[in-house]
Amino acid sequence: MGKTRKSAHLAWLAAGGLALAGAVAGPAVGQTLTLAVAASPTSLDPHYHNLAPNNSLADHIFGALVEMDANTRPEPGLALSWKPISDLVWELKLRPGVKFHDGSAFTAEDIAYTLARVPTVKNSPGSFLLYTRGVTKVEVVDPLTVRLTTGAVTPLLPIDLSQVAILPHGLGPEPTSESFNALKSTIGTGPYRVTAYNSGDRVELARNDAYWGEKPHWEKVHYRMIPNDSARTSALLAGDVDFIEAVPTSDLSTLRKDKRVALAEAVSLRFAYLFFDRTRDGGGMPFVSGPDGEALAKNPLADVRVRRALSMAINRAAIVDRVMEGAAVATGQFLAKGSTSYVDDLAPPAYDPEAARKLLAEAGYPRGFRITLQGPNDRYVNDEKVIQAVGQMWTRIGLQTKVDAITWPSFIGRASKQEFSAFFVAWGVSSGEASNPLRALIHTFDASRGFGSANRARYSNPALDAVIERGMAITDDAAREVVLKQATRMAMEDVAMITLYQQKNIWGMKPDLRYVARADEATHAFAVYPAK
Amino acid sequence: MSAAASPEPQDAVVAVKQETPFARFVSEYCESPVAVVSFIAVVLIVGVALLAPWISPQNPYDLAQLDIMDGRLAPGATSMDGMVFWLGTDDQGRDMLSGIMYGLRISLGVGVGSAAIACVIGTALGLIAAFAGGKVDTSLMRLVDLQLSFPAILVALMILAILGKGVMNVMLALVIVEWARFARTARSAALVEARREYMEAAQCLALPKWRLVFRHMLPNCMPPIIVIGTILVARAITLEATLSFLGLGVPITEPSLGLLIANGYQYMLSGKYWISFYPGIALLVTIMAINLVGDQLRDVLNPRLKR
Repeated sequence: MGKTRKSAHLAWLAAGGLALAGAVAGPAVGQTLTLAVAASPTSLDPHYHNLAPNNSLADHIFGALVEMDANTRPEPGLALSWKPISDLVWELKLRPGVKFHDGSAFTAEDIAYTLARVPTVKNSPGSFLLYTRGVTKVEVVDPLTVRLTTGAVTPLLPIDLSQVAILPHGLGPEPTSESFNALKSTIGTGPYRVTAYNSGDRVELARNDAYWGEKPHWEKVHYRMIPNDSARTSALLAGDVDFIEAVPTSDLSTLRKDKRVALAEAVSLRFAYLFFDRTRDGGGMPFVSGPDGEALAKNPLADVRVRRALSMAINRAAIVDRVMEGAAVATGQFLAKGSTSYVDDLAPPAYDPEAARKLLAEAGYPRGFRITLQGPNDRYVNDEKVIQAVGQMWTRIGLQTKVDAITWPSFIGRASKQEFSAFFVAWGVSSGEASNPLRALIHTFDASRGFGSANRARYSNPALDAVIERGMAITDDAAREVVLKQATRMAMEDVAMITLYQQKNIWGMKPDLRYVARADEATHAFAVYPAK
Repeated sequence: MSAAASPEPQDAVVAVKQETPFARFVSEYCESPVAVVSFIAVVLIVGVALLAPWISPQNPYDLAQLDIMDGRLAPGATSMDGMVFWLGTDDQGRDMLSGIMYGLRISLGVGVGSAAIACVIGTALGLIAAFAGGKVDTSLMRLVDLQLSFPAILVALMILAILGKGVMNVMLALVIVEWARFARTARSAALVEARREYMEAAQCLALPKWRLVFRHMLPNCMPPIIVIGTILVARAITLEATLSFLGLGVPITEPSLGLLIANGYQYMLSGKYWISFYPGIALLVTIMAINLVGDQLRDVLNPRLKR
């Protein structure tokens, strides 16, 4: 009975609220959004640290030449159009009439200024240089036309440029990261201005009414940081915040049923995979030994049949359903359905422990072998639970599996020194198509040419390398996609890695809001709307 | 002990009219019903921990016996092959009852083991400090001061950060944290004993020093050490649980009580209380029982508290 009265009361309140909104009219009068993000940005300097929380916040304040839509396809930003006029030269037409927060006009000078500033940022923990390095010359043709010359054929230049926030050249020589944090240099073309910044706690944003694009609904945004998962969910349920990112999977089943909360989800560009060390194919593996603990003369993981058996032993559907609570999609390749260079007929390997056992026996390991699967315990969603589940499944096909989860800094340091035999990692495909994982994870490690930069397993397949390099040199999008698909198929057929699933990004909000869920993990206050 | 010993003092009283010291100790201990119940609880918990491999429904550390399809089942649910999970399962499909039994094994093993080692080291150093005096005493006691000025959890965290995870490393960290309290207690007890007549008598016999210290002084210093020992066992169990909760203790596939609680902590909001709740109860009961036993021991062994 009490419940009925309460809901009647609520209905009355809602009706009153609606009438009031109708009476006051005018879109967005004094509308404020309080949102909570999971990770704190390390700086307001958009070129200081290439880190998801920083970039997500920077998207509110600054603009880039190319914007990424919710499905990470490039669309015009500060540049209206871009086209290669030769193999190495791109011409960009800029958007006219754009103003920075300080009132200065946006021109081609600002592109030159920004691209020159990126390499000068001091003590950058993660440089944006990787997006601008390709550009060797910036030529200002007229205030709204700029030509960029690249050192090599760079078909992905527009995507690279979408990561670089444009600053006004009026900031002068080398503004320091500190002056950004002090809000002196925090001037962009984005939909919001910063009015206050308290590192690790909150950022206050106010709408930039001179913004060139769609005007955001919220006049003010309280951008709070609540790293603790349950605290963030509780803040939403208690009504302290209107909107949260990274809803913890452990709460999903309850929240899906909770009427106080609406969820928005999108399959992300981050895929989880298992990697197998290939630097010791001739024996001496640190975490692989025979069934009785004896040293093995050669690495069982060098045999494609063993890798295939390990992949077939994994019940991806169970991991997605039980461990990830449905916040993931089982996969057998880098990207999710609907992305550029997704291979349609490359299904996730079927779960078949019997066949996996047979395949192991055929490869000469009828009694299996001992293996330790390593992974981080504080980096990815449910990381240590997933590796335990994989451990269970490998044990079922006769491998004596040990599972070891350690903190991320120590894990990634050791993984990069090839100290593991089998390990779990996830990779965010920043470009939204397969050339990024193929180049960084699958191509033979070659630091001087920038290949295999994250190929911590040191997997190497020269035939595949040739296909990847061929694909990288094609400027035509359709023709490049064909080659990238071919390379993806080759990598998966050779089981270069075992891909497990793509994560879903999940946002939670009050039921009267909606969010355009994004494939990248960005949380954008300007993409939050009142539900119709 | 209590069940077997309760008739004993009466027998002694009736037959000889004079109690043996042990019988008197037992009868004094049994004056508090709470202490007796606590003692029985401790015996039961130790029994469960020792017998876990034989009485638990499942080996929770054997990955082959777990199935994630059984994950997060409520208490009383049945698995696909007919096993009943009386206390539910955790996110990996681990039977909570078995998990708690094995977890108690680790907690008690680490707690008692580290306290015992710390007791031997700490007591020996404390006695040496008291007997030798002078520079040895000063330097040892300053070391103890230094050790006690750091919060125990901080020291343990630092040690584990350097050594890495593992049961043996947790034990080592706990020994390093705890020895100082034993040393301080043993020294103060020994300083009192050193001025007693029996010590002078023993010295007159020109006995070797080690014999003076360990055969004459040590037995008389034991009561306070036993008391501090029980309290430090409980403290070690708490510390181990804390370290495991923070993810620094035992490996994830071999959870102790602290890690079981940590695993369930994130599901509390979702109403899946049992993953944290039951290990928490087990930890609470264990620590409380040991502390109550320790309290009663202190009352019985301390002559100043005698009425």
